[in-house]
Amino acid sequence: MVKPVSRREFLNLLAAAGGAGAVVKAGAALGIMPADAAASTLDLAAGNGRSAVILGGGISGLATAYELGKAGWDCTILEASHRCGGRIFTVRHGTLIDELGNRQYCEFDDEPHMYFNAGAARIPNTHRTLLGYCKKLGVELEIFINENKTCWVQDDAMLGGKPVRNIEYTTHLRGFVAEMMAKAMHETDMDEPFTEEEAGTLLGMIRSFGDLSEDNVYRGSSNAGYASGGFLSPGVQNDIIAFRDLLKTPFAMRLLSTNEGETGPILLQPRGGMDQITEGFLRQVGDRVSYRATVASIQVRDDGVEVAYDQDGARRQIRADYCFNCIPTHLVTGLDHNFPADYVRALKHVLRGEAYKAAFQAKERFWEKQDIYGGISWMNNRSQQIWYPVAGIHRQKGVILAAYDYGGGMYHTRMTQQERVEAHLADGEKVHADYRDLVEKPVTVGWHRMNHMLGCSARWRRSFREGWTGETEQHYRTLQAPVNGRHYMIGDQISMRSAWMESALLSAHWAMADLDRRLRNAPA
Amino acid sequence: MTRLALICLLCIPFLASAAEREPFDDRYCTTCHGTDGRGNEGVQAPRLAGMEPWYLKRQLENYRDGVRGAHPDDIEGLAMQPMAAGLTDESIQDIIEWAGGWNYVPAEHTISGDLDAGRALYQPCATCHGANAEGNEALGAPALAGQNDWYMVTQLRNFLAGYRGVHPRDVYGAQMRVMTTGLNGENDINNVVAYINSLSD
Repeated sequence: MVKPVSRREFLNLLAAAGGAGAVVKAGAALGIMPADAAASTLDLAAGNGRSAVILGGGISGLATAYELGKAGWDCTILEASHRCGGRIFTVRHGTLIDELGNRQYCEFDDEPHMYFNAGAARIPNTHRTLLGYCKKLGVELEIFINENKTCWVQDDAMLGGKPVRNIEYTTHLRGFVAEMMAKAMHETDMDEPFTEEEAGTLLGMIRSFGDLSEDNVYRGSSNAGYASGGFLSPGVQNDIIAFRDLLKTPFAMRLLSTNEGETGPILLQPRGGMDQITEGFLRQVGDRVSYRATVASIQVRDDGVEVAYDQDGARRQIRADYCFNCIPTHLVTGLDHNFPADYVRALKHVLRGEAYKAAFQAKERFWEKQDIYGGISWMNNRSQQIWYPVAGIHRQKGVILAAYDYGGGMYHTRMTQQERVEAHLADGEKVHADYRDLVEKPVTVGWHRMNHMLGCSARWRRSFREGWTGETEQHYRTLQAPVNGRHYMIGDQISMRSAWMESALLSAHWAMADLDRRLRNAPA
Repeated sequence: MTRLALICLLCIPFLASAAEREPFDDRYCTTCHGTDGRGNEGVQAPRLAGMEPWYLKRQLENYRDGVRGAHPDDIEGLAMQPMAAGLTDESIQDIIEWAGGWNYVPAEHTISGDLDAGRALYQPCATCHGANAEGNEALGAPALAGQNDWYMVTQLRNFLAGYRGVHPRDVYGAQMRVMTTGLNGENDINNVVAYINSLSD
């Protein structure tokens, strides 16, 4: 006979276990499980010869040129560097990585599958504005594998640093947590009880979650994979890793949710590199881009915007009716401009991201010999992650991500190239013993020092718990609104969820829709 | 003829791979330091326009040689040091000439303080930097008037904390370290910088 348990107690337990209940709740709060699927689309009025100067050839600038161009506007994109895309950056054979103080040319083999997405690397299936553009622009997509439980988990503090498969780690973790939940269910006092039927379902769910025996004890699980056999002979179960050993690493707090939320399934990527999105836009608006054109001055006037820029050693001028600007806020503050004081305060309020990534060419696809096809190995060290490529399965070579520090990237950024590479080799060989011999031709990207960007995605000062403070949101609204009706800041930086291409596109759409509405309402 | 064609064929891959190299621009100071080196608070890079060529030269050499920007707590210096690490004497000269052509714009004031207190605190500074903070080449002291005030605050903090001016070869930095011991806390730093601001009004 199953003893009823209080709903509140039970939910508390679920939340404490960091399981599915807690994750769904957080997901709903973040609005990442939307009700309907409508991409943001624009229906702009005819441009009637109006002109726009677009500062920066990142995805928001390219989309602006594309949309306005379609409506008959005369658009010019000024791009400071030698390429468009900004933080959409695919590194392959010959690519110049213009990191200030650490310039590199990529030496990967010249093959289509040998590339590294050093910036944007994943497209969530709910980012429908971006996916809509991919469809429209003929950008071929494939599935990106984020979570692969065959990949490794490694922490010096656990099992003497021996790597274990993610599936072993998480299966055992779930087993022990489920055992605790099942025990707690029997011991909990009743207030607001479940019916016997509900409690039976719950207990069944707990048993299934942890693969418990009939007596609600975890005795290992074939879910963790077989040590041997399984096809022509009986499968031999892997040894259980003791609960206490599992708790030696902070991965216990993270690994059950790495594939939830924005990085939950399904994720996609363009075949051949994320820059295929940039190429898709450039097929439409490539003739509107002026490269190596560094903006020096933005003067917003009553009847338009005057922009000065440096190109080929000369200072040039361009005037347009409107300006859309995706230059990073922290670089705009260094330009000659006539922006109002509150706008400048808001520009200065936004901090710059510090993310850092590195990659190696692998001489052979050693991970595939370990049954790994795509996915991420997690290391509790500063290199943090190893990503295995989906591209080029079963080919001789591949490109793997050797480090991804998305928060405190300055640790590696402040190192010399040699120090960075040695750090990733030393970290990676804890997971793959012969790593050092199997990888070559490193590339590293410290986004904080990339020329013309000097930062990864914008960091708005906010706390995860408190969300956006009134002051921060006010600055955000200030930057979203146009200056004198003529100058719009755009890009993922002008969104409440920076770092995503979808945010950049929605920001550009917001600005164009706002201008369109004002133009339609203006007296003739 | 055949032989010549063969030689050409052998040459092509080499030439093609050399030609593939995307050219880069070594004059990238303004990425951080802003239009015409006006300084950019957004990335904490100070004004270079109007800076004395001899002072710019000394600091670039200090950065290049690890005399400045090597202390782990000198956050801005750590950002600058690798930018200068690869400079040659010729490229330093090129930067100085380039910077000499920049239009000097006095920096915008972002800090306020007690000007009377600041004036008193500035008196020892004036011995080297001049009564109007105009600088003195003979004493190796740069002009302070017109420099970004937030930058001066950071540098005074760095001198005080021993993040700057501690390298044995940084003779002028060591002098500055001694001079800053007269500053007692954030208020003093703000007040003296506010006074320096007032000299360029």
